[in-house]
Amino acid sequence: MVLEPEVPSPTLRVHLGFSDRWDVFGQRVVEVWVVGIIIRKMKLAAALLFSVTALFADDALEQRAVGILKKNCLMCHGSALQSSKLDLRTRESILKGGEHGPALVPGKAEQSKLYRFAAALDQPSMPPGKKLSAEDAGTLKAWIDSGAPFASVVGVDDKAATLAKLEERPITADERMFWSFQPVRRPAGRAGIDELIREKLTAKGIAFSPPASKRELVRRAYLDLVGLPPTPAQVSDFLNDSSPQAFAKLVDRLLASPHYGERWGRHWLDLARYADSGGYEFDRDRDNAYLYRDWVVKALNADMPFNEFVRMQLAGDEIKPGNRDAIIATAYLALGGEPNMNTPQTRSDVLDDMIATTAGTMLGMTVGCARCHNHKFDPIPQKDYYRMQAVFFNAKPAEVPLVSEEEVARHKDRLKAWTEQRKPLKEALAAFEKPFRTRMIADKTEKLADYIKVALATPAEKRTEGQRLNAIQVEKTIEVRDEELAPSITGDNLRVWDALKARLKAFDATRPKLESAWAVEEKKIEPSYFSHHGSVDNPGSLMKPGVLSVAYEGEWNFPEGHGRRKAFAEWIVSPENPLTARVTVNRIWQHHFGEGIVRTASNFGKTGERPTHPELLDWLAAEFVSSGWSIKTMHRLIMNSAAYQMSSNDTDAGVRADPENRLLWRQARPRLEGEIIRDSILAVAGTLRAEQIGGPGMYPYIDPALWAGGSGRTWAGKAIDDASTWRRSLYIFQKRTIPVPMMELFDGPSATASCPRRNRSTIATQALILMNNAFVLDQAKRFAGRLRRDAGEDPAAQVERAFALALARSPSEAERRESIAFIRKNPDGLADFAQAIFNLNEFAYIP
Amino acid sequence: MSKRFLSRRQMLSIAGGGIGSLALADLMSGATSPMSAKQPHFPAKAKAVISVFCYGGVSHVDTFDPKPELGRHPGETMPGKGKVIVSQGHPGGMMPSPWTFKKYGQCGMEVSELFPNVAKHVDDIAFIRSMYSLSNDHAPAMFQMNTGSVLPGYPSMGSWITYGLGTENQNLPGYIVFSDWRGGPIGGAPNWGNGFMPAAYQGTPFRSSGDPIVDLKPPAEMTPERQRRWLGFLEKLNDEHARKNPLDSELSARIASFELAYQMQEHATRVVAIDNEPEHVRKAYGLDQKHTQYVGRQLLMARRLVEKGVRFVQVYSGGGNFGESWDAHWDLKENHEMHCGETDQPVAALLADLKQRGLLDSTLVIWHGEFGRMPISQRMNGRDHNPLGYTVWMAGGGIKGGQVIGATDEFGYQAVEDRKSVNDLHATMLHCLGFDHEKLTYPYNGRQMRLTDVAGNAIKPLLA
Repeated sequence: MVLEPEVPSPTLRVHLGFSDRWDVFGQRVVEVWVVGIIIRKMKLAAALLFSVTALFADDALEQRAVGILKKNCLMCHGSALQSSKLDLRTRESILKGGEHGPALVPGKAEQSKLYRFAAALDQPSMPPGKKLSAEDAGTLKAWIDSGAPFASVVGVDDKAATLAKLEERPITADERMFWSFQPVRRPAGRAGIDELIREKLTAKGIAFSPPASKRELVRRAYLDLVGLPPTPAQVSDFLNDSSPQAFAKLVDRLLASPHYGERWGRHWLDLARYADSGGYEFDRDRDNAYLYRDWVVKALNADMPFNEFVRMQLAGDEIKPGNRDAIIATAYLALGGEPNMNTPQTRSDVLDDMIATTAGTMLGMTVGCARCHNHKFDPIPQKDYYRMQAVFFNAKPAEVPLVSEEEVARHKDRLKAWTEQRKPLKEALAAFEKPFRTRMIADKTEKLADYIKVALATPAEKRTEGQRLNAIQVEKTIEVRDEELAPSITGDNLRVWDALKARLKAFDATRPKLESAWAVEEKKIEPSYFSHHGSVDNPGSLMKPGVLSVAYEGEWNFPEGHGRRKAFAEWIVSPENPLTARVTVNRIWQHHFGEGIVRTASNFGKTGERPTHPELLDWLAAEFVSSGWSIKTMHRLIMNSAAYQMSSNDTDAGVRADPENRLLWRQARPRLEGEIIRDSILAVAGTLRAEQIGGPGMYPYIDPALWAGGSGRTWAGKAIDDASTWRRSLYIFQKRTIPVPMMELFDGPSATASCPRRNRSTIATQALILMNNAFVLDQAKRFAGRLRRDAGEDPAAQVERAFALALARSPSEAERRESIAFIRKNPDGLADFAQAIFNLNEFAYIP
Repeated sequence: MSKRFLSRRQMLSIAGGGIGSLALADLMSGATSPMSAKQPHFPAKAKAVISVFCYGGVSHVDTFDPKPELGRHPGETMPGKGKVIVSQGHPGGMMPSPWTFKKYGQCGMEVSELFPNVAKHVDDIAFIRSMYSLSNDHAPAMFQMNTGSVLPGYPSMGSWITYGLGTENQNLPGYIVFSDWRGGPIGGAPNWGNGFMPAAYQGTPFRSSGDPIVDLKPPAEMTPERQRRWLGFLEKLNDEHARKNPLDSELSARIASFELAYQMQEHATRVVAIDNEPEHVRKAYGLDQKHTQYVGRQLLMARRLVEKGVRFVQVYSGGGNFGESWDAHWDLKENHEMHCGETDQPVAALLADLKQRGLLDSTLVIWHGEFGRMPISQRMNGRDHNPLGYTVWMAGGGIKGGQVIGATDEFGYQAVEDRKSVNDLHATMLHCLGFDHEKLTYPYNGRQMRLTDVAGNAIKPLLA
């Protein structure tokens, strides 16, 4: 049966005939019902028939059925919410149904969705998470089979109260007891990394592995802290220092290197889903995104306290208004993808990116899971999600000027003047083109379909709606592209045309520019609402900003107006928050030991792993905070431990007792990231422009087969041997739709979401790129050239030098013998040998 | 600790030189390899999928979903439909299809004159005329079609399938993507990305001329003999390092990956050597005609890849911008005549070829775009995006042909009968491959993620 959709008017209610007759409140207005039949009989014979049946229905049954609806269904399908666009308050709205069609077929319960979902005959059964009793389901069935008489239940539910009840999800005391929500506790009586690790090993009957050799150690420290292999001179500096502080001094030297920030900044950029473009269809380049990348590198090099690092990224603009670096830091919030369309839904996606990234990165919580419903595993109410959304709601990604307000005003004036000056140039061009265009448009109009021509010929006031639309369409969209115009302009005209176009183009190049950063701006405070089912079409209560309620009991103090992000950041780095210090030291640990103490670095919730060394984690967190959130202090603490300096080789006892090395009886052997393999190749070949730190991204060669196409997307790749690309991989322009093969194949992050830990695949296509890629081969030749320059023509000396440069050691006897033989035997032996060095496992793994 | 790998040289020394590269591929497919062949949840017909992605959006009302109503009231609005939301403004009235439809096959399916060759196979094809997508913007709609999510960063269909099934041929990538000759689609690599899964499951772009994979071959001066010697040398050096930690499967897998890469050079080259195909096959795919030869080459390669055990091959028709794709905002007639002309014969040849070789049963062919097009006009003779209703079709691999599921309204504007989501399509595809789409999960960020997120049902009537 089809009823007219959208029937808001009372006339129509009368017209339907039933509403007043069977109002649940008992009024019986038979006259109205009769009118209803008269009006309806033309339209719906079926409805008439059924209404006559229904006239004799059982009032008690009706009341019971309506009672069941009120109790179980109206919460989500009533005045507060119309989930799936279904409203069960009136008979007409039930018959009209929602997204899945009419909810009810009067007289036919088995065919009625309302009954089928309520009786769990179809999935998802309703109400969610609750089973209707057989008796209630039976009542609904009998009621529908009897014709489903009832008029409406309007006014029986209080919208605000219903919403509040739906949105409430209290936290139990038990839930607050989960380990990661407990305050950080410094373990009593014991201290230090080694003690806390040894304790667990001893219990298992395993010992620390022996210390790594000094050569292994120097290579490990360099790759770990600066991401470059040590030069032979740097190796001997360390080897020649026999003092007990030799390694501590090495760590200090590396922490003072500007390359430290390049290496560890990249770890943060993984978390911050950093990219230099917006993704999606147009993948717009963000030519100033690198300002944020450089800010991160500088902050790490300066050992900016981590709490400050957090504050600046979440609320730099609020804490230091007008400060250049503070504005740049807030790019953190704006780094997500940039949808092509701007709708409430895409806006909500942008906010989701901010919330999910911040919660994962700074809190180690999967708050993003609570966008559509309360978190399924962790005590994170959906309301927390929308309270966090209220924190960020007014921060909108934008090009934010990096100059003073006066300068911005001057820029606006300049731009206005410029636009004024441009006008006559544009008009002159348009005037010149006009006759040509007019002729062409006449030609095109002539070729239009007949029915469109008829529409155009019909006087405007006499056009049908379709003709009106088609006429507008012709008027607004008939166009002549330059390439269509070109053939009709010849000779002197062509010269004039070209000159006019050239003049405009030259003038366009003078458009005044304003230095800006892709960051966030917060102009006004707008209200934000709970979204039921995560849908912007189902708004709930007004939301006030808040923090994670399981981690903080009570209401954190937020301002009504601006400053919400600042207040939120203050909570994140406050002693009241048990998560952030733990999460952060765990990340530092993860990069030093291959895995974190909690192996799910951005998930400290129930579905995450438990810490292998909870006391160690807390000890580190406590040290971190008392050091003033100094990351460099943590590096020193960790790297100067015996645990860090252990050998990474297997031992029989260790493998037997703890094959996964969860208890840390040895160091890890992590594979280097694609960036660091590439950087190592350049460094060893002697071509790396290591001194160039920061600045706009660069474009190494990528085969066009891998990127050409799609809405003007382009990659200004330089030649394979273009020295401008011999910079650290950190500086490769990160275009979201054009991944650089070396990074993509080696599990580089896709920059679509925060990446807490890179996967580690081993696949044949990785081998192909290192075997065959022209850049790798070119660098191998340059490495061979360097060996010749450094060591002369003697293969023995070349081999010695190659091992020293690439692996910080001398070759073994067998390696020396094989290498010399290979170089001698093969025509291009030295270059091939050099390339083999790039491909060694030892080259790609931290010792 | 998992089974360990041995380098080729180690293998040779153990087996006295009797073990060749085949055994090595077996090694690489051992339990520790992410791409080792695996069993699905239940026995199934389909072993592989070929997706023909008509990027830009095909007009369903001009191809497989005839709407005579449009011809009856040209230029009028669709009664009862209210204001039509379009992606680019200025909607017009109804635009009749410039093409006529005819009934084909025993099932009597109506197909327009744009697809005369595909039409001959309607008895093997199941059409879903009631598809809908969530976005009327290309990139999100493409991401949804490929990954189930309108947001970028999720694993694509091929990733899920290779994650679930591994691959039967370690000498070739398990998941291969061909772009249109005019360039790749909007959204780029995330369309065949592995999202949060390991890189082992990412699609490998294949070229349809020259070396199929970028960096498959070294420059000419690096002859195969020279590279073979080089590889032997590399293995010797790597062995010394591996000896320190003989149980480390990651190190030995990496050693084996070089040998595998070497094998891949040979195998990938051979598999795309379609010049060796008999003349009648080449002709059937349209390799002798300029307009069909590009897609023809790709689909012929796709058949050969599937034959060799590759799991998922995606071929894009349409690339670059606007008219270069199926995105017929302007001049529908010119656009669709070009794209249908390029694909009709090769797609039909693929179906015939698969069938003739007995491969159609084990190969699921899916023909789709990211959305359909509007029944009303845009820019006088074009059609705008329409995510509310469109047609996709499936053939082979456990699909019962000769049938139509669902329907759009009388104008082709909205899917109204038996509406099917992209989740449903994905669930059906996974079902054909032997997977319960609710159980094929990958842990990420505290959740068991699915290709179908939290929705979708396999479309049971489609199944043979």
